Amino acid sequence: MAFLDIKGVSKRFGGLMALSDVDMQVEKGEIFGLMGANGAGKTTLFSVIAGHVAPTTGEVVFDGQRLTGLSPSRVCRLGLCRTFQIVRPFAGLSVAENLRVAALYGSGRKLTSTEVAAVVDDALEAVDLTDRRDLDGGQLTLSGQKRLEIARALATGARLVMLDEVMAGLNPTEISAMLTTLERLRTERGLTFVIVEHVIGALMTLSDRILVLDHGERIAFGTPEEIGNHDRVAEVYFG
Amino acid sequence: MKNIGLILGVALAVVAAAVPAFGTPYMMGVVFQVAMWIALAQSWSMLSATTGYLSLGHAVFYGVGAYVCVLLTGTIPFEWALLAGAVAAAVFAAIVGLPVLRVRGPYFVILTYGLSELVRHVVMRIESALGSFGRMIFDVPRTEVLMWWMVGLAVLATLGAYAIRHSRFGAGLAAIREDEVAAETVGVPVTRLKLFAFIASAIIPGAVGGLALLRTSYFEPAQAFDPVISFTIVTMALVGGTETVRGPILGALGFALLSELLWSSLPQLYMIVLGLTLIIFILFVPRGLSGLFGRLGRAG
Repeated sequence: MAFLDIKGVSKRFGGLMALSDVDMQVEKGEIFGLMGANGAGKTTLFSVIAGHVAPTTGEVVFDGQRLTGLSPSRVCRLGLCRTFQIVRPFAGLSVAENLRVAALYGSGRKLTSTEVAAVVDDALEAVDLTDRRDLDGGQLTLSGQKRLEIARALATGARLVMLDEVMAGLNPTEISAMLTTLERLRTERGLTFVIVEHVIGALMTLSDRILVLDHGERIAFGTPEEIGNHDRVAEVYFG
Repeated sequence: MKNIGLILGVALAVVAAAVPAFGTPYMMGVVFQVAMWIALAQSWSMLSATTGYLSLGHAVFYGVGAYVCVLLTGTIPFEWALLAGAVAAAVFAAIVGLPVLRVRGPYFVILTYGLSELVRHVVMRIESALGSFGRMIFDVPRTEVLMWWMVGLAVLATLGAYAIRHSRFGAGLAAIREDEVAAETVGVPVTRLKLFAFIASAIIPGAVGGLALLRTSYFEPAQAFDPVISFTIVTMALVGGTETVRGPILGALGFALLSELLWSSLPQLYMIVLGLTLIIFILFVPRGLSGLFGRLGRAG
């Protein structure tokens, strides 16, 4: 059974089918890319998986546990955490304090204060924010806040992290630095990622497999190479 | 600087201890008042300073405590009646908490105010249906005893507020204040923590209401649920500063002493001064007396 198994998920908002009958299997240790134009349903799918939105039909199973119907905090404590496309730092708390909250609550078990400090240091290190640990979350640059989002997800002890456009709005230098960081997280920590990205180059480089959504439906699935040569994808993207 | 809240609390207890030795009943009354507002403002801060959910209805817990206490005094010792008042306020908070805490920002402010007014009118109706416009209590404890109880509650509330801020619970509440959705996403059980904070902030006001009732030995719903109590609590906490535990103490101390002065000379001015001070502080000293002192302390 897949690490993250999405079975026949549909989501209807009034008259709009944001997702229709989506199936998706993510294997442990891979980087799974989600692609699609604006409004294709990528963020809705994230919200359904993370528990922010209940699916109209279908179910989500993570590591043998059924997530459907659980609150986001419960989903997080089971080991699955997401980041936000529009960053949501705890702006008035220091960077370290942001991570401390995630460490205190994210794992679902009580850590000792030494353990918490270690988790915080480790998460700071992982995204290169160590030298900015005492700044307020709101004082970081956009690139810094995107990194903080990732660090906070790591500090929860999540085994699967869903990244929602962590490169959007970054300049080319920042994008290549972010790519390095993500590659390192995968190889050094054996984490599983599901990523949504509009920066197609980055998505192609990172992902092991890619699922393409259009108007809430699966239109293609395969390795980056296969997706690059796919007729339907070319049609949707380039007309 | 960090533990000044605790130091102030201890200092107050020492002053209170000295008062009966040379103090007059008037002095004991002042200490009672100061301790009462510290207990109330500190309790309020357990919810509102930590989560940013500003309650404008804390008079309801004070009133519920006073009402339960007046119904019970005479049948059981007053200590038990006070405890019952605190428990009743907590139970009431637990019952109304979930629906009330679903809204935030200005809606929460208005809802808590409305709830408090609703309960006030319901109790007034019940009392007038029972044919009473107020209840006298006889055989109340001595002023000195009541003062000691109130000082105890003030110290307890201060220790409680301090403990919450420095705990895992407090870290979760701070995350809720900063961004509720993000807090939920990183594992903070938002709904449960908010409810716990709401209940925690109701307990001591319940007992305070009971004590205040014993002090006046007269219960009237319009007074026990007076919205001015809620306004005063918020004003004191904001003037004192909500970022630290010493804030509510400074605010309550300053205000209670000021009001003692005004009541004795110009009672009509009390509400005017309350309003003016709030406006001045919100505009010019947003971090309150505590922030002001902190800044002066660092500068000097």
